[in-house]
Amino acid sequence: MNSPRPFVLLLLALLVSCFGLAAHLQPQFQAWRGSRAKGDIFNVVLGDSRRMFANQFYVKADEYYHSGYYPTMFDDNAAFQTTHMAADTGAVNDKNHGDEHGFLGPTRNWIDAFGRNFFPDRHTHLDEGGANDDLSGSENVREILPWLKLSADLDPDNVQTYTVTAFWLRMRMNNAKEADAVLHEGLRNCPDSYDILFELGRLYYESYHDRDRARNVWEQGVRLWLKIYPTLDPEAQKDNRFIMEQLTTHLAKLEEDAGNLPHAIEWFQAAQKVSITPGEIQKQINRLKGKLGEEFNPLAKPLY
Amino acid sequence: MTAILRTEKLRVEYRSREMRQATKVALAGLDLEVGAGEVFGFLGPNGAGKTTTMNVLLGFVPPTSGAAYLFGIDVRQPIARQRIGYLPELTYYYKFLTAEELLRFYAKIFGLSRAEMDKRIPELLKLVELEHAAKRPIKSYSKGMQQRVGLAQALINNPDLLVLDEPTSGLDPLGRMKVREIIQRLKNEGKTVFFSSHELGEVQSVCDRVAIIHQGELKAIGRVSDIVGKHANLEEAFLEIIGYSTPATP
Amino acid sequence: MKNIFAVAGIVIKELYRRKDFYVLFIVTILICLVMASVNIFNDAKIVRYLKEICLLLVWLSSLVIAITTTARQIPAERENRTLLPLLAKPLTRPQLIIGKFLGCWLACGLTLLCFYIFFGALAASREHQWPLLNYFQAATLHWFMLGIVVAMTLLGSLVFAAPSSNSTILFVIVGGILFVGRHLDQVALTLHEPIRTIVYSIYFAIPHLELFDVRDLVIHNWPLIPWLYFSLALLYALGYIAIFLTGACLVFRRKAVN
Repeated sequence: MNSPRPFVLLLLALLVSCFGLAAHLQPQFQAWRGSRAKGDIFNVVLGDSRRMFANQFYVKADEYYHSGYYPTMFDDNAAFQTTHMAADTGAVNDKNHGDEHGFLGPTRNWIDAFGRNFFPDRHTHLDEGGANDDLSGSENVREILPWLKLSADLDPDNVQTYTVTAFWLRMRMNNAKEADAVLHEGLRNCPDSYDILFELGRLYYESYHDRDRARNVWEQGVRLWLKIYPTLDPEAQKDNRFIMEQLTTHLAKLEEDAGNLPHAIEWFQAAQKVSITPGEIQKQINRLKGKLGEEFNPLAKPLY
Repeated sequence: MTAILRTEKLRVEYRSREMRQATKVALAGLDLEVGAGEVFGFLGPNGAGKTTTMNVLLGFVPPTSGAAYLFGIDVRQPIARQRIGYLPELTYYYKFLTAEELLRFYAKIFGLSRAEMDKRIPELLKLVELEHAAKRPIKSYSKGMQQRVGLAQALINNPDLLVLDEPTSGLDPLGRMKVREIIQRLKNEGKTVFFSSHELGEVQSVCDRVAIIHQGELKAIGRVSDIVGKHANLEEAFLEIIGYSTPATP
Repeated sequence: MKNIFAVAGIVIKELYRRKDFYVLFIVTILICLVMASVNIFNDAKIVRYLKEICLLLVWLSSLVIAITTTARQIPAERENRTLLPLLAKPLTRPQLIIGKFLGCWLACGLTLLCFYIFFGALAASREHQWPLLNYFQAATLHWFMLGIVVAMTLLGSLVFAAPSSNSTILFVIVGGILFVGRHLDQVALTLHEPIRTIVYSIYFAIPHLELFDVRDLVIHNWPLIPWLYFSLALLYALGYIAIFLTGACLVFRRKAVN
């Protein structure tokens, strides 16, 4: 009875059974839609709650953009409705209003007044000198990138993380190559995003000076916008007009630079339809018309 | 005879945490006096009030009424404890320290100079036969060794009064013999020793005087020979005093 | 004072002979090194996220060390009965309390020193600068904040029987103050009487630990805190330390230790 052989045999039998069962179930588990194991580490650990963290890190990047000067949930954050790091890229509709320099308001009591000496109390942007007002250090905006990268890893469907990351990489870090990679990764995750196409067009046009590729991606952006816009709810439609205005005005400027003034006017006219300041665009149109001379020949074929 | 230790109508009551239970009287007006150079045995059954008396003398428990004095100083004043040594019944010392570090710590509290410490600590370690283990952490000591460390710390300030709470409790016969030897040696040096014990044979052999308390009251006090009197030994006398009658022998 | 320093010395010895500090320090170093090895757009100059993670770990570790070390001091003395031979010596109870406080506070100071040296080295490896005065202000404020926490924990250890319950309560209180302490007055305005008055009173009564959290200033290279306000903050901390220690001495004064 003291022989270990029966136990060893039993152990072996159990191991073989477990291995066989695992091998049998593995393909089914892989095919199961609810499996987290298919995704990356964040998906496995956090599931869908990762989007909540992604948003938190996205806001964290904006907090870094302000060198820590940022409203909490208890402060007046009307001036921080849209992250400034995104608004400053020119690709996002800025909804901010109110006083961004004094969201803390007047001091409430001596503890509040005393406490304001111990945390950042001045509104600055990293690309404009940051906490030390060091205008030579605009590259410091690099500090927002880790949080944006983390946010993009956690929520690959958030378009703004790619456009904001690419903009700052390109504009302040002079790193068009990385910006290009970020935008292409964004396009892989969000193939219908006209925001990413807009930013990609800017990259081609402003960094690579490749007018044709810029025109192609912007025009593709316009086509996507026209396809998706009618499916959006009224509030989203209102928000999305801004990017259309940006796409069309940039196309207009591109055409103007290329000397295609009638095309440029066409694009400005398209921009006028979605702009909240059509009068300003009309001035541009008038300017171009003036350039063209007395006679204006509209194109026979519409552009879209 | 100068009184080294004195209590006057010492009363200690413990208020029960449960509302309905009555207040428990641990000591009911204890009057005690121990003279200089005496070895004084403090006897009583479990729960009689021996440890409570010691706790009051050492300032661990405030008396409900009455007073206690050491060297004529009220025990509530820390200076009263400057010339005493105390060995509790069961104590675990800081396990992360070595015996030498522990003695150095207590010596600092008594305000000994560095030179005094350097002389006194090896002497004590030799006395309790722990020189070989002086640099080892106390956590590696056996129970007997820990008890000997306790004795060494009680003697660190070369006290005039030594308060020992069941010093031989849990020790093997050899350990007990060593403790008795040390008490005898202290007596020869003219020190006062106040100790409680359940080992009545041991008390009879080393004590000059004893006191017997029961249910918080002093039942007898006097020289060992006077208390033993007509009884065969101290144990028989003790049992009679506390009101326990031994079964009649055939 | 000799007695106080003797007791404090034992507390410090206990800390460096236990493994808590070493474990937390090594974990902090490992996490920071792993985070530093992450490639972010091939830019090796990005440093602030690393400073933030390192300081967060330093804060967490220091609070764990301060609270757990202090919470076990008096209860362990009672449980192991080491308190009896100690109080049988010419050591007053206030001396014991102050000695314990000083030991824990100095031990926290030593651990902070190690942590901040590592933090400084980590930041300097990428920033190539060493703003010593800023680090001095941050570490000193941090240390004084821990002084308040240690004093609070010591008082708690005399009120609550178990060190674990004391530690848990202290973590909740300290965390609560750090997160919402600054905004309690705003919260009070949204409440009805008499809760409003109670919350408002709490706002003025609690030690505002968040004042000592100047991590954002260090991470984002803000200029120094004016020295006057810095000194006032230290005085503010000393005031609260004195209040909590007095409370602890009063509670311990007549407490039976048998």
